Amino acid sequence: MAVKKQTESAEVGRKVALIRTELGRLRSSILRIEQELGELEDARQETVARRDRPERYLQVLVEVYEHGGQHGVDADGLASIGARHGYDRRGLGGFFTGARAPLRRTDGRIRLTAHGEELMDSYLARTGR
Amino acid sequence: MSRRDDVLVDGDWLADRLGDPRVVIVEVDERPLIYRQGHIPGAHCLDWRTDLQDPIARDLPDTAAVFGLWGRIGVTPEATVVFYGDKSNWFACFGFWLFRIYGAKDLRLLDGGRQAWVVEGRPLGRDEPVEDIAAEAAVARPRQNNRLRAHWQDALAATRNGVQLLDVRTPAEYRGDLIAEPGYPQEGAQRPGHIPSALSVPWDITVGPDGKLLPDDELRRGLADRGVGPSSPAIAYCRIGERSAHTWFVLHELLGQNARSYDGSWAEWGSMIGMPIAVGDQP
Repeated sequence: MAVKKQTESAEVGRKVALIRTELGRLRSSILRIEQELGELEDARQETVARRDRPERYLQVLVEVYEHGGQHGVDADGLASIGARHGYDRRGLGGFFTGARAPLRRTDGRIRLTAHGEELMDSYLARTGR
Repeated sequence: MSRRDDVLVDGDWLADRLGDPRVVIVEVDERPLIYRQGHIPGAHCLDWRTDLQDPIARDLPDTAAVFGLWGRIGVTPEATVVFYGDKSNWFACFGFWLFRIYGAKDLRLLDGGRQAWVVEGRPLGRDEPVEDIAAEAAVARPRQNNRLRAHWQDALAATRNGVQLLDVRTPAEYRGDLIAEPGYPQEGAQRPGHIPSALSVPWDITVGPDGKLLPDDELRRGLADRGVGPSSPAIAYCRIGERSAHTWFVLHELLGQNARSYDGSWAEWGSMIGMPIAVGDQP
């Protein structure tokens, strides 16, 4: 009886050891995967941040800021600004799409988003004499 | 002639005086780099972070610094100084308020600021004016007058002494839903909310979509609708003191009300230990 109990206990101990080993491997894998994922995400972010916007795109943002002030411009105002820089109304739609859209429309008025202001600030810093 | 005629000018008035050596034009922007995209010909650019504040402490520049600044841009006792800027003149009003504190006599604000000048298609220049214009003896002597400035002790006293406190931030900031709007991460505080007893009087009830100030009767009506009494003294505050300078301009300069700006504002109040704070829609 005592021998049987000892055998059962050894078996449980072995299983625990196996599970702990497997858990260790999983933890290592998770750490490695997280690290690789982080590196990929960082690289992707850099690619997005580096993406150069054409001059006319950034000039649209500057003009929305200049003409709209705190209250923004209306749709016709944006259309006029866009036309000066070669964008038709359809082309201006791209300024409102995506999580990092540079323009937002609220109550019929169009303003820069925080990201739009960041883009404009970078442009102003680059072009300032 | 109303007070408005003494302190507020339009594009035509300024366009007629371009090149007048007695008129000093000063642009103060939230984004000083926008000045280099083009500015009113002859305008000086003052950076609110470096020219209109103490370089080390969070405080106004001292008398010597203001004297140096006035020498740099040619503020003589006879000069007329015209302020304008972006964001409906937020920081231009801060500059106006600062110069008023230091005793500059003839100050004007361009109605609608940079936005109005640009939208009206008026001329823009790219040349920056030469500095060191005024000889030292000719420069106006700044003398600090703190009756236009409130400190946190004044705001604390106002919670119980009948002085009106005007919170001119957005309603969301007033309620405590957010500390600062997106894009202003450097203007945070440790706690959201408002100063107890403060009325919510968003700065932008005083301007139209074109950034220009509303007529006096509309200003009075809008302020009254928000509970602001015309005859009681008032202290305006915002987050760092620029929007409150705008409301101070309306109250003190246009409407002749006894008003001060608390430039420490929420960035100070919301970060100090033990200050009373209210949250929600009610004062």
